[in-house]
Amino acid sequence: MNVLIAISSKHHSESTLKAGMKVANAFSASSTVLEVGEKINEFSMKEVYMARERIESWNFDRPGVDVLEWAFNYLCKEKLINDSSIERGFPKNTLVENSSRRSEVFLEKGKAKNISLIIRNGEIIEELRNEVQTGDYDVTILGGSKSGNLSFDMVQYIESSIFIVKNFQTQKKNKILLAVDSSKGSKKAIKHCVGIANAFNIEVEIITVTKDVKLRKANQNITEYASKFLRRFNIKNKIIFEEGDPVDVIPKKAGNDHILVIGSSSRGPIKTFFQSSTPIKILKKCNCPILVVK
Amino acid sequence: MSNLTNQLISNILFWLSRKKWLVIAFFISVSLFYVETPEGLTSDAHRTLIIVITALILIVSESIPLPAIAMLILIMEVVLGVDTADGVASSFMNDAVFFIMGSLMLAVAIVHQGLDKRLALSIINVTGNKTWRIAFGFVFFSALMSSFIGEHTVAAMMLPVALALLRYSGKKPHQTSNLSSLLLFSIAYGCALGSIGTPSGGGRNAIMIGYFSEFNITKISYWDWIKYAYPMMLIEVPIASLILWLTFKPKKKILDSAVRKLKVSVAKDGKLSSNQVLSMIIFIFVFFSWIFLSPSIGLGIVALMGVFFYLSFRLIDWHDLTRRTNWGVVILFGSVISLGIQMNETGAAKWLADFILHSLSNSIDDPSNLRWFFSVIVSGIMTNLLSNAATVAILGPIVLEMGGDPIILGMSTSIASAFAYLTIVASPTCMIIYSTGLISSKDYIKAGWKLFIISITLLLLISIFYWPILS
Repeated sequence: MNVLIAISSKHHSESTLKAGMKVANAFSASSTVLEVGEKINEFSMKEVYMARERIESWNFDRPGVDVLEWAFNYLCKEKLINDSSIERGFPKNTLVENSSRRSEVFLEKGKAKNISLIIRNGEIIEELRNEVQTGDYDVTILGGSKSGNLSFDMVQYIESSIFIVKNFQTQKKNKILLAVDSSKGSKKAIKHCVGIANAFNIEVEIITVTKDVKLRKANQNITEYASKFLRRFNIKNKIIFEEGDPVDVIPKKAGNDHILVIGSSSRGPIKTFFQSSTPIKILKKCNCPILVVK
Repeated sequence: MSNLTNQLISNILFWLSRKKWLVIAFFISVSLFYVETPEGLTSDAHRTLIIVITALILIVSESIPLPAIAMLILIMEVVLGVDTADGVASSFMNDAVFFIMGSLMLAVAIVHQGLDKRLALSIINVTGNKTWRIAFGFVFFSALMSSFIGEHTVAAMMLPVALALLRYSGKKPHQTSNLSSLLLFSIAYGCALGSIGTPSGGGRNAIMIGYFSEFNITKISYWDWIKYAYPMMLIEVPIASLILWLTFKPKKKILDSAVRKLKVSVAKDGKLSSNQVLSMIIFIFVFFSWIFLSPSIGLGIVALMGVFFYLSFRLIDWHDLTRRTNWGVVILFGSVISLGIQMNETGAAKWLADFILHSLSNSIDDPSNLRWFFSVIVSGIMTNLLSNAATVAILGPIVLEMGGDPIILGMSTSIASAFAYLTIVASPTCMIIYSTGLISSKDYIKAGWKLFIISITLLLLISIFYWPILS
């Protein structure tokens, strides 16, 4: 399994990196820490690179390297990198430009499988999409964004599952809210939920929301399946039935003390493009970390 | 199968969402093609204007790569029948394009010599350790050097000097402060001010000189340009320094320990190397050739002579030169200049100029004085949205057809295109300082609007009171 953790700066990305590494460890996944820097317009690209070369000749780091160094130090502190690498310190001299917009710091293999550190420059959604396609990632983890459009774009255009770490407090004991219905995506969500519950060592509330009481029976099978599946991994859980519109009820129930896990919509891309989808609508309203499983 | 279809559709939707301006440009150009040609406009001019609108949309939105825009312009010129393939090819390459290509390569060759540390030492020796003197020194030296060797070169060399001072004064890599804004904007605005001083300050100046000669208006030499523009640059330097100081007043009024550390760090590099001396001699030769030889052989050929010497003396190798030169910009400006020439030849520029004057006369009795304001304000706004050379290449043919004194209008347009103070994308210099992560986009407006207004006022005064004396 491959996990991509997108960070921006140490002030805004601490919780993203912590949560991301926990998830990566739980799944024993290879993880890549990606810093997406500002887009440089084409008129100025070569001139900016020329200026960067001069900066480096003074032994100063180009923008973005300090963020990766901070991430490296965090990985060292958590002992996620092998001891010899920790001793040698951040290997900034191994920063290699793979293409005009992508550079990578090469690290030795760590305890938690492979860890890579990458800088990209450009529009965030384009760069994440390109990185997910080249690295064949299963989960992309990034910090909460105020922009609703970015959430939409992430779910609509990025092929991996998306974990948005919104208002995540590491000290706080959260619960997982697993939202299920009779759709195909729910089964995948249940499987991913196991990993997340193990990563954070927390219990799960399985919620199903129906607009009509008569439909509750249809969702009963999936909730029971979820409960049984989680019990198999010794994960404590309880089932909640709610009535109403999932778009209103689920964010309310999740509050800011849950990690919401939800399957992606079975709607086709065109329908989603024009009408959006339930997970996207929930994601926009939610005030807690949310994993949309694909 | 359905998964594959969904993935394909998703890819198409993603492409459309990123390239929406390309799609919009396509529909606008097709619609305009079928709109009846307005009265007074020839069919060729009508089609030229369609290409201009398409090019502007694509350049501003950057929805496709710059070289792709360049090729689209050339293709459209031939396919829409504005000119023959040979005609387009001959208008694509001229001395202004040689100049842009040569000066971009010269910039790479000069920056490659690593003269920035010497530069740092010279500036600090002159300014001392008071923050206001250092900031003023940054504006002054950036302006002085960029007026001769071009703004991008200077910005690339000055940036490490500013970063060194910031780092040695105890600032962390991402720590923003008034001091960082002050020093970085001193470089960016200094370079912008300096770029008006001589034709070699920026490609747009060479484009305007090219239009003056191409449209048989006048011949402006390197020295003539200096007489027109240098006084304005010298007046603006202290004004810009004062505006920046008042806008970003730093807490540290003296940078004594940072200056000391900088001197120690630079001193480690020893004396000037023979290659550095040679590279300076070559540039001095190029500079004098611009003054004395360019009237007969052209600005572009002189720039290429400089590149020839840098390559021949192995001060830079071809691989490094090509890797760092922005060929996309060279090709784009070649095609935009070709479009400018077509605008003139097909009468599209004249029609547009008359249309603008007519529209202005509907609201104001005597539009003649407004020609100047139109040229300067539109140029100033466009330069902050696209690029200064593209602004001059497209706006130049129109303002030169507006009547009045074409030299004053042309010079004003070219100079106003240097007022790239307001946005990150306004010029590579603005982008270079932004790429440090030490300033925000709001900072550009904070100081930029004041300098923008003062620059326009100063340009007005100079064009009313000073330029008429010269002609």
